[in-house]
Amino acid sequence: MSVYDLLILGGGPAGLAAGIYGARAKLKTAILEKGAVGGMAFTTREMVNYPGFKSTTGPDLMKTMASHAKEFGAEIIKGQITEVELDGEIKTVKTKKGDQYQARAVILAPGSQPRLLNIPGEKKLRGSGVSYCATCDAEFYEDLTVVVVGNGDAAIEEAVYITKYASKVIVIVIHDEGIVDCNKASAEKAFNNPKIEFVWNSVLAEIKGRENVEAVVVKNLKTGEHTEVKAEGVFIYVGMVPETEFLQGKVELDERGYIPTNEMMETNVDGVCAAGDARVKYLRQVVTAASDGAVAAVTVERYLAEEDDFKENVLNADKPVLLAFWSPADEASIDVVARLEQTVVESGNKVKLVKVDMSRKKRIARRYNVTGTPAALLLKEGKIVRDITGVFEAVWGDEL
Amino acid sequence: MELKNLNAVTFEEIVYDNCENCLVVFSRKTCHVCAEVVPMVEETAEKYKDKLGFYHVDVEEQKDLYNRFSLRGVPQLLFFKDGEYQYKLAGKVEEEQLEEKIEELL
Repeated sequence: MSVYDLLILGGGPAGLAAGIYGARAKLKTAILEKGAVGGMAFTTREMVNYPGFKSTTGPDLMKTMASHAKEFGAEIIKGQITEVELDGEIKTVKTKKGDQYQARAVILAPGSQPRLLNIPGEKKLRGSGVSYCATCDAEFYEDLTVVVVGNGDAAIEEAVYITKYASKVIVIVIHDEGIVDCNKASAEKAFNNPKIEFVWNSVLAEIKGRENVEAVVVKNLKTGEHTEVKAEGVFIYVGMVPETEFLQGKVELDERGYIPTNEMMETNVDGVCAAGDARVKYLRQVVTAASDGAVAAVTVERYLAEEDDFKENVLNADKPVLLAFWSPADEASIDVVARLEQTVVESGNKVKLVKVDMSRKKRIARRYNVTGTPAALLLKEGKIVRDITGVFEAVWGDEL
Repeated sequence: MELKNLNAVTFEEIVYDNCENCLVVFSRKTCHVCAEVVPMVEETAEKYKDKLGFYHVDVEEQKDLYNRFSLRGVPQLLFFKDGEYQYKLAGKVEEEQLEEKIEELL
């Protein structure tokens, strides 16, 4: 089995952008996706704020991104990931079909999926009147009554869209009258739509129906009153949850399941980055997902170069290595390293001096538990044989 | 195994006239759940192709067909036996669920 340089888990905008950057940097790159390329963006009918595209659709933009990535040489492989092994130099990913892929670095871009309400009837009637995708299903409600739960951008925009087909759309809002979380433009559109009716201070308590949805039970939070409302469809837009269950115990996740990263998109595992909606972040949009993907791919590119460099110069060196840590911010460390270099030459180059800029190569410092500069370690085949950080300069020569 | 596409006429022939025991997937191109479920059905079809017919209906092209079964979304997997509708699976169907229902039909 050939080992990829970069495996990207998830083919949404984050994964596809990472694929474009990774493949363009000549990394042997593959993107694993279980369904349609484009992820959740694939369900967006109308996109008007992706820079450079005044008006496009989710599927169109995503297909363009996918072919862009393929043109640079990224492979797109269909498969649902069930298992990952992220520790160590080579990462392994297994799919449901039993296929196995290996790579030197991984970008996690699994995205998110709609959050369920977990109320009676929801699971049983999913696909039979309960839907999370108006693009997919709105058309089935020609001249029928539909309930929309939620009041964010997705909920309100989709409610307006569903009125193209349904005779009546009832929007259940948890807030006081007149308050919705969505953008102002969409809120105004919805308030002025004669087919839309708002029910305030309320949540959905139950969905009823035998084969298909027949009614819903709405609970008023102020009065505690339960009201049964006849409806044929329920569209639920109450936020998203990250699809990170398969990463449990493999990479750090926050209490809600999102993956924390630094600004280089690095997770707590070496050689593993994260990008897109599944990451802890402020704004979850196609443009920020793509941006994450680009950053993550560049981080991976540098990580792989560093690893290669480290292997060649330190692990596979033909003589002992003196690893000298310095930092541009620490002038004393610059001097110490310069004097070390001189000592190495004077003692007949019996060791190979490798200078490590701590401000850039943090991973090497971490590997050897070095926390400050200056520091100097004598290594044989990559293993520390002597820490000479605290040793007097006068005896450096003897040490070497 | 790719699923054979049906239209109103071929649907009538295969399901009702020939009474073929079969599974018909109703889906559409723009649905992401369909994009996950359809390949899974195609794979499962490989295993059961000798015992059961596997077909596909694009709801965008065949509106009459989905109206006839008063479907409320895609994907929908409808099972037919001896020219009669038996039951369906809807939404994000898992492989295990599908195999269970196929075994039940057989």
